Amino acid sequence: MKQAIRLLMVVTIVAVLGIGIAAQGDYAEGTEISLLQWSHFVPRYDEWFDGYAAEWGEANGVGVTVDHVNFTELFSTLAAEIDAGDGHTIVEVLFSPASFIDGLHDLGDINAAAAEMWGERASTCQAASYLPVADTYYAYTHGYVPDPGDYDIALWTDAGYPEGPKTWDDLLEGGRAIFEATGIPVGIGMSPELDSRMANRAAIWSFGGSVQDEDENVVLNSEETIAAVKYLAQLQNEAMTDEVFGWTAASNNQGLIAGELSYILNSNSAYRSLQKIDEEAAANIGFTSALAGPAGAWASSHVWQIYVIPEYVEGDELAAAKQFILDHSANYSEATYYSELYNFPCHASTVPELDGWLEEDPWGSMPPNKFEVLKTVNDWSVHLGFPGVTNPAISQVFAESIIPNMTAKVALGELSAEEAVAQAHERVEEIFNEWRARGLVGGGM
Amino acid sequence: MARLSYPLDNRRLVGIMFLTPALLYILLLVGFPFLLAIAFGFSDVTVGNTDLNFVGLRNYFAVWENDIFRQVFETTIRFTLVSQIFILIFANILAIIFTQDFTGKWFARFIFILPWATPVSLAMIGWLWMLDTKYSPIDYLLLQTGFLGPNGILSNSRNLFWLATPDLSQISVIFVQVWRMTPLATVILMAGLSSIPTDILDQAEVDGSRFMRTLLQIKLPLILPIMVIALLFSMITMFGDMTVVYVLTRGGPVDYTRVLGLYSFQVGIEGGNLAQGAAISLFAFPLLLAMAIFMLRTASRAEVQ
Repeated sequence: MKQAIRLLMVVTIVAVLGIGIAAQGDYAEGTEISLLQWSHFVPRYDEWFDGYAAEWGEANGVGVTVDHVNFTELFSTLAAEIDAGDGHTIVEVLFSPASFIDGLHDLGDINAAAAEMWGERASTCQAASYLPVADTYYAYTHGYVPDPGDYDIALWTDAGYPEGPKTWDDLLEGGRAIFEATGIPVGIGMSPELDSRMANRAAIWSFGGSVQDEDENVVLNSEETIAAVKYLAQLQNEAMTDEVFGWTAASNNQGLIAGELSYILNSNSAYRSLQKIDEEAAANIGFTSALAGPAGAWASSHVWQIYVIPEYVEGDELAAAKQFILDHSANYSEATYYSELYNFPCHASTVPELDGWLEEDPWGSMPPNKFEVLKTVNDWSVHLGFPGVTNPAISQVFAESIIPNMTAKVALGELSAEEAVAQAHERVEEIFNEWRARGLVGGGM
Repeated sequence: MARLSYPLDNRRLVGIMFLTPALLYILLLVGFPFLLAIAFGFSDVTVGNTDLNFVGLRNYFAVWENDIFRQVFETTIRFTLVSQIFILIFANILAIIFTQDFTGKWFARFIFILPWATPVSLAMIGWLWMLDTKYSPIDYLLLQTGFLGPNGILSNSRNLFWLATPDLSQISVIFVQVWRMTPLATVILMAGLSSIPTDILDQAEVDGSRFMRTLLQIKLPLILPIMVIALLFSMITMFGDMTVVYVLTRGGPVDYTRVLGLYSFQVGIEGGNLAQGAAISLFAFPLLLAMAIFMLRTASRAEVQ
């Protein structure tokens, strides 16, 4: 019933706004839409989503097909489909597709409609869908995934931190003490993979450094970044093993589940996996918000759920796709629930139950309020381009793993922090200049 | 019947018929993408905008000024050359063994060809597990035999971190490439050895030539052209390969195992800069072309002699 009321609300508001989206059932006979998205980390979510999409199609007289692929194939498939001028109606990617902007529909209308209906969106979502220099919403971000710290409660309690580390200093002091006493290291990756790229950025932001400033000028080479890199190298040398230089995205999950890492930065995925195989061990995992450094406490969101519609989509197919996206957001309580609290809503008002679920996990955590720390997530969860926007240059810097490689060079003793940061800064400048020449990155004055 | 057989008696027509599928394959699946990559390399295309605006050599200059690219280029050449040495040695040894008569030869050949027959991504996932930084079965065996762990012969650590230290990660990638490519080279060399006329070998035996003399003075010179072809196949495949490092290391630690194919993909597809991705991949072309011409000439000369 609640779902039907929400659906009705969305349709009414969209019609009132007159944004050109056809109302329910107004599509030409034979209209079909197809979605390409990742095989969700939580299989239960895909089961729910596929059922929801089929129901939506029946209710709106639209044929809906959903294809799931490994997340690593999303960008390459989107690129191929844009180049071919044919393919899926809606593609969901997990990182900002700003570099695809010329091949995507401007979704300013549905972003405006969503803001009208559900109010402000989380800033991490806004930055992953809007490119100021082009004044274009190239995407609609419906959800994001928090990236808190996961810690071994017993180990950190013995080290004198029963609630886990709160600061990067705590992580070094406590993590080193645990490593010396038990041989169990901290797990902050320094490898060319996703989690390492985000964890290293979190430290740099918290020390006051960043890749770019608010106006998209490259500011990586700063005292703050150098201090953060020195800190990370010290953390690696004193509280971690060399394994972090060769990690895959799954390595920190595996280590935490095996009880062989004392602290990692990750989504709730490692914990949920452990919960399914050993509830007692899972009860020993706690969560912390972003660690505080000299300049604040920031952490990257883990991934974003970002819908884009390629330019080749037209007519009723386009209208139906936009309707589908808004209706999906209107049902975000179910999306969050069936993702086992993995997906957080960009529009908090779409999931009024969220705070209650964080206080009492509907999926049986012990203690039930294990995720309560995530109630403040919007205060510290930021996007890859923070404090600017996530533009195509930021995406390329991310893809080339420049930040974790910079840190690893210092931790391995190959370069000083000053040299490594200067070298990385030079490459980042090259990338920014490339994209600036195409008119897709601001700044540079 | 006569009407039907007439066109098939035309050697020219039959030649065209046999060549057409291969030519179509090369034109559509190799030639067209190659020309497209050249066009991309001289333009400013991105993953979202494939309009070909000519920018001259800008991408090539930009790529050459990129320190990471130069390291990647050097790594690619080093990996290719080092692995070819091992592939050549192992392939020759194995080809000689597999052309001898012994019990279980067919089964041994079947097992041996598996690394080449197995889909590369699947095989690499297997190696990823074998060389895992924490749960490597190789490390486990070394730990159980006292090579690792407290007072271990190799290290006091419980792990060697195969894919995480600069030296071991490079050795691991080269080892896996040798493992993967040796069967193909071996099969090609076996074909070469099998094609040596038996009367030559019989003559040598009658003249009292022993194994090493026959090998070094008769067999190897005779299969030299085909050995060069095997080497060429192996080098070109390895030079353009990205799957092995994409699965095993994604180019890490730092940039130690990043090769051209992978970097081109990371810049062009994951990073969205299709033009520079194309330029990176095309840097290898002149080198590969020169290498192919040199090796084919060498093979041709050896054949004439």
